[in-house]
Amino acid sequence: MRRRVVFYSSLAALVLVVAFSVFLATRHTVTDATSSPSPLLGKPAPAVKGISLSGTMVNLSSYRGHVVVLNFWASWCPPCKQEAPELSTFAWQQRNGGARVLGVVFNDSVSSAKSFSTYYGSLYPSIAVDTNGSIANSYGVTSPPTTFIINRHGRVVAELLGATTVRQLTAIVNKVTS
Amino acid sequence: MTLTWLGRSGVYIASLAFVLGAVRQIWVLQNGKQSYARYFAFAGLVGVALSVGVMQFALITHNFSLAFVSENNATFTPLLYSITGMWSALEGSILLWALLLSAYIVFVLFRYRKEAADSVVSWASAVLFIVGAFFTLLMAGPADPFIHNAAKVLQGAGPNALLQDNPLVAIHPPLLYAGFVGFSVPFAFALAMLITGRVQDRWPLELRRWSVLSWGFLTVGIVMGAWWSYQVLGWGGFWGWDPVENAALLPWLTATAYIHSVIVQDRRGLFRVWNLTLAIATFALTILGTFFTRSGVLQSVHAFSSSTLGPILMGFFILTVGTGLALLAWRGDRLRSPVGVDSPFSREGLFVANNILFVGFAIVVLLGTVFPLLYQAINGGQVTVGTPYFATVAAPLSVALLVLMALAPLVSWRTSDRKVLWERLRFTVWVSLLAVMVMLLSGVRKPVVLVAYFLAIAAAGSAFRLLRGTIMSAHRRGESFWSALRGPTTGGMVVHLGVVIMAIGIVTSTSYTTRADVTLARAQSTYVAGQKITFDGFRQVSDSLRTATDLEIVVNNHDRMQPAITTFNGRDGQTVGTPAIDSNPWRDVYLTFDAVGGNGAASGAQVAGNLPAGSVVVGVTVEPLISWLWAGGLIVGLGSALSFVRRRHREEVNPL
Amino acid sequence: MMKFLRSFWLWLAAAVVVIVVAFVVAPSASSTQQRINHLESLVKCPACEDLSVAESNATSAIAVRHEIVLKVKQGESDTAILTSLEDSYGTSILLSPSTSGIGSLLWVLPVVVVIVGAGAYLRLVRRK
Repeated sequence: MRRRVVFYSSLAALVLVVAFSVFLATRHTVTDATSSPSPLLGKPAPAVKGISLSGTMVNLSSYRGHVVVLNFWASWCPPCKQEAPELSTFAWQQRNGGARVLGVVFNDSVSSAKSFSTYYGSLYPSIAVDTNGSIANSYGVTSPPTTFIINRHGRVVAELLGATTVRQLTAIVNKVTS
Repeated sequence: MTLTWLGRSGVYIASLAFVLGAVRQIWVLQNGKQSYARYFAFAGLVGVALSVGVMQFALITHNFSLAFVSENNATFTPLLYSITGMWSALEGSILLWALLLSAYIVFVLFRYRKEAADSVVSWASAVLFIVGAFFTLLMAGPADPFIHNAAKVLQGAGPNALLQDNPLVAIHPPLLYAGFVGFSVPFAFALAMLITGRVQDRWPLELRRWSVLSWGFLTVGIVMGAWWSYQVLGWGGFWGWDPVENAALLPWLTATAYIHSVIVQDRRGLFRVWNLTLAIATFALTILGTFFTRSGVLQSVHAFSSSTLGPILMGFFILTVGTGLALLAWRGDRLRSPVGVDSPFSREGLFVANNILFVGFAIVVLLGTVFPLLYQAINGGQVTVGTPYFATVAAPLSVALLVLMALAPLVSWRTSDRKVLWERLRFTVWVSLLAVMVMLLSGVRKPVVLVAYFLAIAAAGSAFRLLRGTIMSAHRRGESFWSALRGPTTGGMVVHLGVVIMAIGIVTSTSYTTRADVTLARAQSTYVAGQKITFDGFRQVSDSLRTATDLEIVVNNHDRMQPAITTFNGRDGQTVGTPAIDSNPWRDVYLTFDAVGGNGAASGAQVAGNLPAGSVVVGVTVEPLISWLWAGGLIVGLGSALSFVRRRHREEVNPL
Repeated sequence: MMKFLRSFWLWLAAAVVVIVVAFVVAPSASSTQQRINHLESLVKCPACEDLSVAESNATSAIAVRHEIVLKVKQGESDTAILTSLEDSYGTSILLSPSTSGIGSLLWVLPVVVVIVGAGAYLRLVRRK
């Protein structure tokens, strides 16, 4: 046994390393938005109201009774460009009584936000100006894109950091609605 | 389109050269013909150099016909950041890796050209060609840096904000990669020795110099990385136990074990098979590190964008480790040294302890890094493994290593008389104890700090003792002081001194750092840890590269610092906080622009609604002795250089 | 021989004295602020990759810091505070996994490494 120490330990190491490598190779990359622990979880969602990019008056409280996807975005943020089509697709899929999507522009000029919104064919309203960043502050948003899922009773149930996808949003909303 | 094809042809030439070189080497080994290995290597280098030249030309002239350039460069990007733009993103970083690798391969093959017929050199060349082929083929395929932009792009996005506000971007990646790449050489020779079954030749000594050189690059590269993070990330720390940081640490740990145990093999012929294992492990860990950094499997602030490279890199990792372990299983038992270690207090014994500590720590760091993945696979939940875990595990390890550093330079080979050991230790430990007494009397209370200082001074004392002894005996043989200073022993002791200085810097700064967020109105002052901080107003700075809102902060009435919020121009104008650091050998005052009062929303700063307009919140962190970390790191680099340079009068002989 | 004995034992005695003094004057029970700092170093800033709330100035980090201070003032124990944070924000809020369940593997492994390492050392260093 002593004579073949190297042989047996090499074989054992080989088995371990191959198992380890296969494990790592099969991990999926982090492409979805990360679910973040927010101090708002379980608490009533702070007020969100203002005039949208298309000129209409928007108020979060008017969505009570629906699940709301609240998305903070800016025209200068690359992941926002990535998720913009996904959010519109999601809004379209939920158009018959499902979840509602509401956007808030983060630290941006109205003209850039408007052109961004037109370019990506946004199918949901976004509040154009967040004075003093007070809405973003009340939600603890430090950088876009950040998305909050608010349940039917107006309580925050999830915070997602980074670009989200239709699949991820649908999964969370289904879990919240059931 | 020309640039694309020119750049790609460089890559194709290089990959062809390496593939053909590998094939020919294997053919030569069967048929004993003339090996033209070094010409294939040279062709490979020429190919990669051509591609690098094309990329640099495109970056410097802001040629946006290349997608890589339009994503990492803009017309107003300064020259330095255009050049460093090459390694600011994934594909270009592989270009840098390939360049350094090809250069190393050419160097090795030219160095050993007279022994090109030697079977060990032949096999090592073949392995090196295969490694070179892998990285160049990556660029020929999935990681193509020369993709052409179909549309005509007028302005690029510019580099990532955090990669263009500090010149260390030009130093850390090249040094780090030089370190990683350098360990391909011991790996190649290790495989060659296993295949040919010839381990007891001069190769361990030869390889030791290559390894020390690469280790030096790797160490200084990691320290420069920490310094860079410290200067730009804004939290006043320098190491976060982030997966990418750990990925660079893992090969460093096994490499450090390797350069120590190779000394034992050189002197007494022990640990032959173990050293082969370490050489293979170190190289494999550099590939694993590349995987972590580029696969997107673990989240990190330092990672490149995720890509399809993950499974490919994993495949290469399995190939590397699999080949190494299979060869070890086949040959290993036949190559083991017949003798063993005689006593725990011999130098060999202490080096065994050294190896166990470093390799053990590497295993723990590896597990801690991948644990979140394991947890998610088993449990479905998310878990974080951060500083509290790693620091708790690292603490006893560091204590043990300092003890070893204090003892090892004083013990002899084979065995040590305890009386003699005490005689050599006596003076140092009395001095250390006295120092601790003085510290206690002056108010230092933390046990961690006291223990660390005691051991650090003891380790420094031992290093000085061996240094003095070696220089004096060289002097007696007629060598000058400067010539005596060169060589593995003196170089090694200088490295130990550098490590001790770093240890003192780390322990002091982590134990006695003071953080505070101070609110100041214009011309108002406050004190943080005895440092006077005065706010002297805002300043808007604007140039072609960026727009920034600077805060004028005066430290102790004479140092003017400007922590800022900076927005970099470019299509996706990113806003980052730019810290300002007032350094001196005793402490750093680290300043960040945290928030501004009222509704004066200065570009990008957080607004603190409850503060009057014109007031600011400044983050102040006072860190004692943190510059000792960087100074110590440079001394470690100096020590490695001294260790690498050959002494004119005597080579290290192998007395058995 | 006597001289040697005196030298080493004298030093050892001096070392013991220093250690005893260090223990006597060492800060005993941690003050409230130290407790708060310690807890803050164990909790991750929700918006960051691996910074603790002590190190980060993100809005969410500041919010968590306030929560910790509040709970400490209310007299909750360290374990209770960390558990309640875990309940609100999920297991990933702690920078070091709890020792129950699979998390214990993380702490068991270093102990195993130490034992195996010590065993290997003893075995390797006594061949004659």
